[in-house]
Amino acid sequence: MSVADFFKSRLFWIALGIVIIASTLPLYVSGYILGLLTVAYYFGVFAMAWDLLFGFAGEVNFGPTFLIGVGAYTAGILNNQYGWSVYLCIFLGAMASVVAGFVLALPALRVRGPYFGLTTLVAVLMLQNFIVVFADLTGGEIGLTIPDVITIDAGANYWIALGFMTISAAILYGLSQSPLVLQASGQDPVQAGALGFNIVKHKLAAFVVSAFFSGLSGALLVFYFGTASVGTVVDVAVGVQVIVAAVLGGRRTVLGAALGAIFLIVAGEFLRPTGELATFIVSTVALLVILFFPNGFLGAALSREARS
Amino acid sequence: MDATARNTAVLEVRGLTKRFGGLTAVKSLNLDLRAGEIFGLIGPNGSGKSTAMKAIMGIERPTAGEVMFEGENLAGLPAHKIARKGFGMVFQHSRPLNRQTVLENIMVALLPDSLFMLFADKALTERAEWIANRVGLGAVMDRRPPTLPFADLRRLELAKAIARDPKVVLVDEPFAGLTLAEVGTFSELIRSFRDEGRAVLLVDHNVKSVAALVDRVLAMYLGEEIITGRAEEVMRNETVRRVYLGGAIETSARPETSFKDKVPLLQVENISVHYGKAQALDNVSIHVHQGEFVSVVGLNGAGKTTLFNTISGFLPYSGEILRDGEKLRGTSPARIARSGIVQCPESRELFGEMSVRENLDLGGQHLSDEARATQLAWLFELFPILKERQAQLAQTLSGGEQQMLAIGRALMMQPKILILDEPTLGLAPVILELLSKALEKLRQTTPITVLLGEQNVTFALPHADRVYVLEHARIVWEGDPGRFAAEAGEGYL
Amino acid sequence: MLALQILIDGFAISALYALGATGFTLIFGVSGVLNLSHGAIMVLAAVAAWAAASLLHVNTYAGALIGVAAALVAAFATYFAVVQPIQKSTRIPNEEKEIFVLTGTLLWGIMIQELIAYFFTNNAKTVLPIVEGVVDILGVRTPQNEIFTALVCCLVIGLLWLMVNRTRTGKAVLAASMNPRGVTLLGLELTSIYVVVWAIYGILAGIAGVLLGMFLGVSSYSVGPLTASAFSIVVLGGLGSVSGSLIAAFVVGYLETLTAYLISPAYRTIPALLLLVIVMYIRPQGLLGRR
Repeated sequence: MSVADFFKSRLFWIALGIVIIASTLPLYVSGYILGLLTVAYYFGVFAMAWDLLFGFAGEVNFGPTFLIGVGAYTAGILNNQYGWSVYLCIFLGAMASVVAGFVLALPALRVRGPYFGLTTLVAVLMLQNFIVVFADLTGGEIGLTIPDVITIDAGANYWIALGFMTISAAILYGLSQSPLVLQASGQDPVQAGALGFNIVKHKLAAFVVSAFFSGLSGALLVFYFGTASVGTVVDVAVGVQVIVAAVLGGRRTVLGAALGAIFLIVAGEFLRPTGELATFIVSTVALLVILFFPNGFLGAALSREARS
Repeated sequence: MDATARNTAVLEVRGLTKRFGGLTAVKSLNLDLRAGEIFGLIGPNGSGKSTAMKAIMGIERPTAGEVMFEGENLAGLPAHKIARKGFGMVFQHSRPLNRQTVLENIMVALLPDSLFMLFADKALTERAEWIANRVGLGAVMDRRPPTLPFADLRRLELAKAIARDPKVVLVDEPFAGLTLAEVGTFSELIRSFRDEGRAVLLVDHNVKSVAALVDRVLAMYLGEEIITGRAEEVMRNETVRRVYLGGAIETSARPETSFKDKVPLLQVENISVHYGKAQALDNVSIHVHQGEFVSVVGLNGAGKTTLFNTISGFLPYSGEILRDGEKLRGTSPARIARSGIVQCPESRELFGEMSVRENLDLGGQHLSDEARATQLAWLFELFPILKERQAQLAQTLSGGEQQMLAIGRALMMQPKILILDEPTLGLAPVILELLSKALEKLRQTTPITVLLGEQNVTFALPHADRVYVLEHARIVWEGDPGRFAAEAGEGYL
Repeated sequence: MLALQILIDGFAISALYALGATGFTLIFGVSGVLNLSHGAIMVLAAVAAWAAASLLHVNTYAGALIGVAAALVAAFATYFAVVQPIQKSTRIPNEEKEIFVLTGTLLWGIMIQELIAYFFTNNAKTVLPIVEGVVDILGVRTPQNEIFTALVCCLVIGLLWLMVNRTRTGKAVLAASMNPRGVTLLGLELTSIYVVVWAIYGILAGIAGVLLGMFLGVSSYSVGPLTASAFSIVVLGGLGSVSGSLIAAFVVGYLETLTAYLISPAYRTIPALLLLVIVMYIRPQGLLGRR
């Protein structure tokens, strides 16, 4: 749909409403919850970036944390080693992710199906090993301490995260809708080729865009935490959460991925009292959703609309 | 459209060859495509016509040969580059973007191949609307594909192909799945493309359905050209008739009354099958008596394979299939096979990396060791070459030997009803002789019932007690093989 | 004598990897499933054996059997509760079923891992070995347990080979890996074959898990690395090729052992991963890959 149509649509107004309400939260909600939502928003960008790639490449990236991790650790290491400014480090982190995305895309896009998934998964393992082995530089399994932070104020951090997520959502969603071409290449490569579109070029672009947002969000996240560790930005388990978030929200809806991410993080918190069973319960719920509601929240809603 | 424009060759294909490993799908094909003409590439399954079209479009990379378009050789270029030079292709299977409206689907075809084209402009939208109206989709522009009938989806494919005003339009199996009325409207549309001065290349397996539409035809067989010319000439050509239809036919049918079962062994009653929205079988009824040899003849796409896969339990259907009076509905395919209805499919489905003997043993694994040994001995008498090659890997056998193995494996199951789907496809005449003799032997020395699906009428009729003709998902004729040539044969080609 | 030590240790670890990888490849080759809960099932087997011995005080043989049984049950559960429902689902488009199965088994693996951590904590468990003591091989002192591990792995793989190539059921399984449609046309129910394959897989994973528990010990943290190493090996050897997996297992096993002894145990996993990256770039279908 055209720009004009989008701004008139129901989706826009609902989204706008949610963002406005969300931005008022720091006025009456505890710092603890704000912190939780901050993390959730960054996670939302991870999930949306993943969903964008899934929609266009038509393949499942099993190692989103490769892109996230490269961005996060580059930013963190630069700040830790050289003390450069926060913003410079974050920017360089995002750029590093873009390069990483490019490097990953080259072998990955040459193969299909399980091989694509495996290539992406191998990338994560490589990164993980690299971090653990070169512990002097990266902090190894313990983690990397990042001297600077963006700000200490919970409210400010919250607004930064919310703003970032909203802008990212607008861009990523816009990209997913407007160049109908990108949609075409994700769904039927042979036809797209016969219609005159060089799909490899477009898939590469999708990879790079996904990498940029993943890396940027990862860098912002570690500067929020003040530490970077394998367990938070590299581990395969984190990658699985990203994928689950996108699937829960609805594949190829982009906005649904953000919803899914927020749901997962918040649900994880609610389950904290159960102790170690929290991850178990979330995984079980995710599995049940996959089995019985494969279209996710937004996916089911949108497909009903398409049929009308 | 003046005469000179009509005679210009817009596309010149010379020596087009495509090999897939050891298989040569297209051998040195030559054709000229002129502006303002509709050219048909026809041939049975496996003749190479679809591969040739894909090679011209760049979806397959030609192994050799030239595709000259406006003085430039396009052979070897990727599809998207060829498309941008002025080619549009209508695919056999509709694959619209289901989440976008019809209009948006057309707009995709109009977009430039740019990373930065973020939003469609007004001119684009207007052109898309014009195209939608042109192909008859004006009323449903804002609807999404899942809500549209099959014919409209095909119109959408036509729209996408002509969106950027191509000089050459390639159409793959234009009428597959359409009703007779729809075939008429589509033919009109395609004619209008020609009248606009475009060069149209059609690929189809059935000369008859395309005959009224094409200006010239190239008949293919096993990757090579038989003849090019006007439709009626080609249909009358000796070689074409022999290759597609077979020569003079001798029949030896046993009358239906000679079969003594009270209820036919196999009854297929009013079954209809859909592939997505396309109708593959429309109210088809056949029956086969115990010991009878029945042939279902029909060209590709008529529905033979669908019919057999439905009987074997692989496809959902409406209607009933009965065996010995009992309904087969709800029985799993493996169970149907175990119960004695054994299919030898067109694709053979052999276990390539296993030896001939292992394939046969797997066929006979329901039997006791003794029974299996006896059955194997019997089979080796029927097909001596299999005994010779029993240690060889199945995938190293020649086409004819693989077919014999496939039939042999099915026979190892001691079937009550043997379903053979296009056993002669792509095989040399000398192998057909062997198969023919084997079928004859089966008919005379065993109580087996056979249901044979073939487009090669010369092969099928001598072994048939009764014949059904399947055309465009319907049974259009049933009767004695002797009367086939007279009553159904003419219309068959 | 370092060379001999490397030879022996490398062989033992390679044989163990081979056993684990073979099961993984078998499942993929026959039913097309990349079972990402593989590591979890192996660890489950080891922990079950340990729990049986230390909590129920059964002898080591019985403990090992219980471990294998646990893996068998888990394998069936994986097939019937996760894989089959997705494959038969009418709500998931066919092209995406593979992805869903992948994600589903991954989640399932996490579920098992977390349950193990919950009931038995994250601490490493070592299963009491069936064979104890040390033996002297040409000057290298080798635990008998290590030799036992290597021998059992080779024996099991050998039996598997015999079964697949010489028995009727085995040939049906092999045929199903080549052509599922062909098998159905011959009157064999694919579901029955899948049940057999998952059963074999459960036993293989169970034995590998229990042996690993005896040899090196496991914890819930081992799950990820185990799955990762299994499919690294399988990808290297070529998805669907059992012989490829066997070769790759020994390549990886020896690479790791050589690195651990000659460079440092910390860098153990690097060369194998580098090899994997190179193979992915040059020949993504692996050494002997078919599909």
